Amino acid sequence: MLHHIKNKVYHIEILPPKQDSQKLEADLELFAQKYNRVMESGYCACITDNAMGHLSFQGTEMIEELGLEVRPEQVMIHLNTFHTLEDLHNILDTCKSKGIKYLLVVSGDGSERLPKLQPSDVGAEGKVESVTSVELLKYIESKYPGTFTMGVAFNPYEPPEHEFEKLKRKLDAGASFIITQPIIEKNKIVDELLEKYPDIPVIVEAWMSRKLHLLSEAVGYEIPENTQYDPIETLKSIHKLYPQCGVYLALLGFKTQYHLIKDIWV
Amino acid sequence: MKIVVCIKQVPATNEAKIDPETKRIIREGLNSILNPFDTYAIEEGVRIREKFGGEVIAISMGPEKAIEVLREALSLGVDKAILLSDKEFAGSDTWATSYALAKAIEKIGDVDLVICGKQAIDGDTAQVGPGIAAHLGWVQATYVMKVEDIQDGSIKVRRMREDGYDICEMNFPAVITVLKDINTPRIPSLKRRLAARQAQIPVWKPADIGADTDKIGLDGSPTRVVKTAPPPAKKNVAKRIEGTPKECAEALVRELRMRSII
Repeated sequence: MLHHIKNKVYHIEILPPKQDSQKLEADLELFAQKYNRVMESGYCACITDNAMGHLSFQGTEMIEELGLEVRPEQVMIHLNTFHTLEDLHNILDTCKSKGIKYLLVVSGDGSERLPKLQPSDVGAEGKVESVTSVELLKYIESKYPGTFTMGVAFNPYEPPEHEFEKLKRKLDAGASFIITQPIIEKNKIVDELLEKYPDIPVIVEAWMSRKLHLLSEAVGYEIPENTQYDPIETLKSIHKLYPQCGVYLALLGFKTQYHLIKDIWV
Repeated sequence: MKIVVCIKQVPATNEAKIDPETKRIIREGLNSILNPFDTYAIEEGVRIREKFGGEVIAISMGPEKAIEVLREALSLGVDKAILLSDKEFAGSDTWATSYALAKAIEKIGDVDLVICGKQAIDGDTAQVGPGIAAHLGWVQATYVMKVEDIQDGSIKVRRMREDGYDICEMNFPAVITVLKDINTPRIPSLKRRLAARQAQIPVWKPADIGADTDKIGLDGSPTRVVKTAPPPAKKNVAKRIEGTPKECAEALVRELRMRSII
């Protein structure tokens, strides 16, 4: 992951089509276009896993079904705890066979329709009430030792003491890089994170939508709907504020913004 | 084994309005989904096939648009799908619907097991499964929470009661209706979803299944909806949990689990 930061490789989030898509073929084509564009740019495509609990296709099956090329340094798969054990292994086996090495392991957002890994599935029966990213990390490391480079999420808007304690457990469980929730300015908790873990690669998330108010839930306070926000200017300032960090771009507009990011990270 | 799963397309929203004249749901303009309880019926059928072999056939009665839920069933693993659709079927109540489905099951032939969700979320009657069993003259078990065993020619199931459960052993052919406790439905793969979009789904009309047209549609439906009204609003009751923070947290988790919220 340090290689990504040194070589200014953006992490670009791509959402797979939803299961209930009414225009699936068109959505698949669009996904392939975005993925290939990220590959050609030399960036890293980060494919979400049922983001916000919405039923979507898995990144691994998109890659397989669409015959997309995997460049190991340029693909990251999000993986959460809302799977059956069989599906989890299918995903991990596909990642292994395709040479995908980066995983972002998160607890994730569930929904009525999504199954959930049980403690007994991952050898944590009697130890925990429910499977979180910590148990998932441990399980993956035990079943696929040394196969994957796994990252975890860090939320600077949660109570810091609790969040740092959680992060320590994630790192102890096998995580080797960190991706933060979106930041739009200097953040003292992220500063603390960088001080505390100077040797662990940290990737800060930049919010690329103009609709800043959508971040209200993540940051824990109400951002007015009419708030003016310039994502590109914010991205520039994040590079200045955190030159030692990688950057993850969420909700990047492929038509309107992609061409603008090329020369920003200098 | 030959298994038939009966499924229904229902409005996706609980904001459906009732036609004051007909007292029926106004379906126009509403998004539709596969009845959630039917997802568990499909999954159970597919699991039984995976364990014992055979085939699973999904059938549904409804307008042409109902073909969407049959494609959903195919993406979830059933082998074939059949739609019963014709203007003669329109307006069927649960009795006429179960008659038509029973005739389709007869036409499919050699069916060992029919699986339905416990009820559809639009009508909430839970009558179609038992109605199919009655029309076919087959044994049935409703509210099934677990298939305990399948042996040569028989099935043993656990069915939920308010005060416990029954273990029922039935000879095939049989009808069961299932609860959501029975399994965790799989998520369709992209490969299956794409194949389902291309699948040919036959449409059967009353003549195809040998249905007596006096027994289907509005004329064949004995139900008369005289009045509909919302149920009385539930009174919210707050429960106070006291104790140390640890005790409170444990008690809260226990309460939430008892309500299946977590």
